[in-house]
Amino acid sequence: MDPHRRQLLKRLQSVLGLVVILILAIFISPKNAAGDRIFLEVGNLTDILRQAAEIGVIALGMTLVILSAGIDLSVGSTLALSATVTAMVLTRWKTDLGSGMHILVAILAALAACGAVGAINGVVIVSLRIQPFIVTLATMIGIRGLARRLTDNTNIDLGFGQDVSSQFAKLGSGKALVVAVFAILAIACAVVLGRTVFGRRVKAVGDNERAALYAGLPIKRTRIWVYTLCGLLAGVAGVLHAAQNHQGNPNAGMSYELDAIAAVVIGGTSLSGGQGSIAGTVIGTLITGILTNMLRLNNVDSNTELMLKAVIIVAAVWIARRS
Amino acid sequence: MIPIISRFLTVAGLIAVASCGSKDRAKEAAAGKQFFVAFSQCNNAEPYRAAQNELLTRLVAKSPDMRLSIIDGQQDSSKQIAQIETLILQKPDLLIVAPNERAPLTAVMGKAMAAGITTICLERDIVEPNYTTYIACDNLAIGRQAGEFIVEHLKKKYGKPQGKIVELKGLLGVEGQINRHGGAHEIFAKYPEVRVIHEAVADWLQNKGRERMTEILRAQPEIDVVYGHNDPMAVGAYLAAQELGREKKMIFVGVDGLGGPAGGIKKVMDGVLAVTFYYPLAVDKAMEVGNRMLREPGFIPDKKYTLGTEIITPQNAAKMYERLTF
Repeated sequence: MDPHRRQLLKRLQSVLGLVVILILAIFISPKNAAGDRIFLEVGNLTDILRQAAEIGVIALGMTLVILSAGIDLSVGSTLALSATVTAMVLTRWKTDLGSGMHILVAILAALAACGAVGAINGVVIVSLRIQPFIVTLATMIGIRGLARRLTDNTNIDLGFGQDVSSQFAKLGSGKALVVAVFAILAIACAVVLGRTVFGRRVKAVGDNERAALYAGLPIKRTRIWVYTLCGLLAGVAGVLHAAQNHQGNPNAGMSYELDAIAAVVIGGTSLSGGQGSIAGTVIGTLITGILTNMLRLNNVDSNTELMLKAVIIVAAVWIARRS
Repeated sequence: MIPIISRFLTVAGLIAVASCGSKDRAKEAAAGKQFFVAFSQCNNAEPYRAAQNELLTRLVAKSPDMRLSIIDGQQDSSKQIAQIETLILQKPDLLIVAPNERAPLTAVMGKAMAAGITTICLERDIVEPNYTTYIACDNLAIGRQAGEFIVEHLKKKYGKPQGKIVELKGLLGVEGQINRHGGAHEIFAKYPEVRVIHEAVADWLQNKGRERMTEILRAQPEIDVVYGHNDPMAVGAYLAAQELGREKKMIFVGVDGLGGPAGGIKKVMDGVLAVTFYYPLAVDKAMEVGNRMLREPGFIPDKKYTLGTEIITPQNAAKMYERLTF
């Protein structure tokens, strides 16, 4: 089978997975007083998109990393760093810039910090030639420590008043905004991956590094950029996290890296690199989002939820591999 | 006060030159001895425990003859055990342990006792009484009080005890979760029309409280009370309800009542929580008893001190905020 058809088939299979889970969710959905299925309420469907957005944005970056045959375990800690830096700049930095500029500076500071974490990951991986798993495992630990140290282990509260931090929380937690950020970033990543030289290099590096080397591709630079983008996207998720939860919590994002990897893998991207797509990752994110929503609407015990998720991950990867 | 005590101790010390144990210590204190207080904290990275560390640091700083070392067990019992073993070699004058888990920490605290170290078990119980004294916090009582408050609120709202409650639970299996749940349900069980319509586990976290509440609000058109096993989960639930404009139709009840801008007391002042129940930081009591054990010869502490809760409502929140914000 030629690679294009194989790719198409894979995508079809994950779409099929999405359809199956949708039908199941509709079928078992509890009904409201009027007899309508709660799952299908517009409010609930947009809830799903919003709940999936944070992991979704992280998973976009993770897709790039995994396509380049890498892995990034540090994204959960990076999200926490982003959330705490945002909250700290908003609550502890006093300025006359006006609230709009203040919020912008807070977001940029968080993104700069997270981009730097990603860049460090990339530089250490290519220059010291240590496996991405180990390097990002180390940053996962170290950046968690940094976030806790910055905040002295406490949560930084954004408050419920009229001050700039409360304004930020109000602005940044709107459902439309959160979903729009995810959608725009997903489209941007899909374009970068599918239509740019950089995107083709990412896949080439992940598919066959030796061939990419002989073809004279800038392997190191590509890798560094991939991890930097992944850090930046985790930073965006962290800003959303802070706004939605009204706080910068240094313990936020625990095990989000695994949720993001799961979304990527369910979406049909191969962990060995080179094969996969952003569309697949978006579908993977939606599958886990709908699954979670479906179980919670039915008040399924949270431990059962974890066990069912495990089954879904293995099943999805098994189906993807059969093609 | 301290100069008077130390003068007294000097006299006491001179009288009891050749005696042993606590009298020896008293003499050493008079001779300018430094007391070494070690606090084995099970996990620094929780707001409640960060507040404990902060308060303890401040309390110890008041006594110039004391120095404090706080060691973080990072929520890992074997790590905490190894750290206490190291501490035993350093022979602290007072060892305070906030055990990560009951069973695993029991033996090593026995070792500390066997080495003659004055040991305070803080907040969580261990299996054998391997401590000089135990400062206990009563989660079951807090659960009961929260339950009673909720029932009273429902009586006022409907004229009789009836209503629908959503419960957001902490990490399953943790003592705090079990007893804050159990205590409240003891009370609810007395009123057949007071029903817990939805229970969800939110692992003590604000973001999980918000996430779980999002679906609960869809599934449950009528909710009177949200009972969170801690303040952040209740605040998270508030955020989800606020998004749908339903936050005024129910009240939010929390537990912990930490000070500072991120704590539950501030949330009561902001009108987010209707009430929270103060879960004692306990280190203040530990230092009170600890100081007496170190400085008062012949003082024998009780084997156990149980600390009560305090209810924090909009009426007393400002006062409590001042007291508990460091």
